[in-house]
Amino acid sequence: MKDVCVIGSGAGAGPIIYELSKAGFKVTVLEKGPWIKTEDFTKDEMTVTRRGAYKPSALDEPQVTDKPGTSGFKATSSVDSKRDFQNGSCVGGSSNFMSAYFHRLKPKDFRLLSEYGPISGANVVDWPISYDDMEPFYTKVEQVVGVSGKVVEHKHLEPRSTPDFPHPPLITNEIADWFIEAGKNIGYNVIPAARGIISEPREKRKACYHSNYCGSYGCSSDGKSSSRAALIPDAMATGNLEIIPNSKAFKLETDGNGKLIKAHYYNESGVAMTIEAKTFVVACQAIESSRLLLMSKNDEFPNGLANNSGQVGKNMVFAGGGGGSGYFRYDELSAEKVEQAKNKNTFVNQCIKDFYEIEDENFDLCKESPTGKVKGGTIDFLIEHSAPMPKGIRNKFVDGTLIYGSELKEVLKDYFTAQRRVRFEIFCDWHPNDDCFVTLDDEVVDKWGDPVARVRTGFHQRDIKVGNYLADRAIEVLQEMGAGSITKSINGNPPSNLIAGGCRFGNDPKTSVLDKNCKAHEVENLYVTDGSFMPIGGSAPHTFTIYANSFRVAEHLKKVL
Amino acid sequence: MGEKNFPEVKIPDTFADIDKWNTNRRSFLKAALVAGAASQLTWFTSCSAKLEEANEYLTAEQSTVLKSILMIIFPNDGNGPSADDLNTFGFVLWTLGDALKKQEDKDYIIEGLDWANEKSQEIYFEKYSELDDEQKEALVKQFTELAWGKNWMSVMVTLTLESALLDPIYGGNTDEKGWKWLEHETGLPRPTEETRVEAFFEKNKPFAL
Repeated sequence: MKDVCVIGSGAGAGPIIYELSKAGFKVTVLEKGPWIKTEDFTKDEMTVTRRGAYKPSALDEPQVTDKPGTSGFKATSSVDSKRDFQNGSCVGGSSNFMSAYFHRLKPKDFRLLSEYGPISGANVVDWPISYDDMEPFYTKVEQVVGVSGKVVEHKHLEPRSTPDFPHPPLITNEIADWFIEAGKNIGYNVIPAARGIISEPREKRKACYHSNYCGSYGCSSDGKSSSRAALIPDAMATGNLEIIPNSKAFKLETDGNGKLIKAHYYNESGVAMTIEAKTFVVACQAIESSRLLLMSKNDEFPNGLANNSGQVGKNMVFAGGGGGSGYFRYDELSAEKVEQAKNKNTFVNQCIKDFYEIEDENFDLCKESPTGKVKGGTIDFLIEHSAPMPKGIRNKFVDGTLIYGSELKEVLKDYFTAQRRVRFEIFCDWHPNDDCFVTLDDEVVDKWGDPVARVRTGFHQRDIKVGNYLADRAIEVLQEMGAGSITKSINGNPPSNLIAGGCRFGNDPKTSVLDKNCKAHEVENLYVTDGSFMPIGGSAPHTFTIYANSFRVAEHLKKVL
Repeated sequence: MGEKNFPEVKIPDTFADIDKWNTNRRSFLKAALVAGAASQLTWFTSCSAKLEEANEYLTAEQSTVLKSILMIIFPNDGNGPSADDLNTFGFVLWTLGDALKKQEDKDYIIEGLDWANEKSQEIYFEKYSELDDEQKEALVKQFTELAWGKNWMSVMVTLTLESALLDPIYGGNTDEKGWKWLEHETGLPRPTEETRVEAFFEKNKPFAL
């Protein structure tokens, strides 16, 4: 019998796999997708985005999204909508395809209720651990997984046990300086953003080679700090790790006394198999982790594994916010700036954290706050990715009219060669609420005949207000830079790749699924270590925190196994 | 396969010439087989300008409509490559044979070609292939004003964009003309015969076909 069976191999699983294998435990990983090797990753849009090779087909693995609208919620299968929350389905999971903006959460994120008080319509809680509990593991991620960046002082800088990141910042486009200068002019601190991408070679990994195709694409140098590239090779080298790709877990079985004894999975031929282990770790990305628990019903857990509290699937969260963009036309720039703008490097790696907490007497939410302060978020600045198809698709319509012929060609030529688009992304809290949760769908099944996840995506209007406040600050920077055609899009549409919650951790078994060590309250040997544990996603992409928490749980497991 | 090494077959001038054309088409296919190229992707990629009527997915009439509409979407207007220059026609044929594309999506493309012909006969009482250039352009404009036609044209524009912007390994973007025109530098590594989409799926089997 194996010591540990890990289900999934992405950011939530990688540190567990790495630490426990190195500690001498026998670990088996069930990974739903294939094991794509570095040499099989290309920057081929046909493979990556047009045929979607890295995520399951909606026909094979649909999901149902129950989305709010003006006349209530409306449920649609991804077979019809073409939209789902499936991400990297392969060894290393979606960490292979992340953009890797690595922002730590702040101490106040861990005690949101205490700091800012309750919010009507939102299920805000304090975390059962503090930032100080997590800090050593953020540091561990920086050092073991590999993070590039530069620490600079600012009013919301979180406490650090190390002075700086282990790798220097990545090379950026000189447009980064435009952002910094514009920020200075209007009194905003535009500061370096850390990336989970290494800027120099280490061990068997090569440095980032600036392909300019990053998010959505696998990395061909292993410079991107995916679980597959950064953690699994060392774990494999121990001889203690077995990875079974193309293996879809569909049920976890207990012994009748609150203890898990085996995982049931379909192998690559669709044959149902089982594996026994002493301890099980679930990390399938939040929606699918809740689904697996909900599918694991028996007499002991008639509502799904670890769900006698009725909390599994509840309080799903996404990343709140949205984004926007502006354009620099070359005929309006100096020759020097045109040269800079035309540089193919798409990295800017600059952000604003001045508004992680908003204290602005003109902002409605601050007026309503007893302290005059409200939780804000992060602004990241970017340049449009190089991949040409999204640019082409973006230009198919002018004022809502499909264009073709010479008009289409003129618009394409102008878009590609006479201007550069810069972007901003806004990250604010997606407040957990009673209308954001995962259940099993009653009708739609996947290719194995199992019920699929049905995701209700209700959002809190407060998140839209905060998102807009932050977007307006970003727009001020773009305006100061001289960008034209500036637009923003802040709405309640959940991003498909930034998912957390559903099995949140806490001290009270009645209101949480997991304890502070991410062990299920109701099951003695079940841990959930992807983003499911998060009571709120924080105002940053989740991956850095998921990695750190997984290292934290691994430390606990090494002591108790 | 850069050079044409089998007989050229012209598009039938009128529908009445179809029988004659079919005879020629058989001769052509035989010649192509002799050349050892009939089942090769490069067969489409290099020589489609001469071959649009001779393929396993489209009738001569459908091929003729497709070729014409692609040139309306991406004309030879002096601003960069035309659909012919990019081999968009060959790229669409590759798409029609792509096992990774849903059959219903492929059928939809072909239905649109038939629909164009039907509309042509409704409006002009002639097959599409018999219209003059102005009539063809007017008809295509009319498509875009109808819900079904607009959706179909949107699909065709996307296919044309793919033929201009994706790697030439899939049959479009001949000699990287699309990338050069738009001053685009592609990311590396590019797909090879070992990593192109069909090979990737065959090797990794990320999901059942």
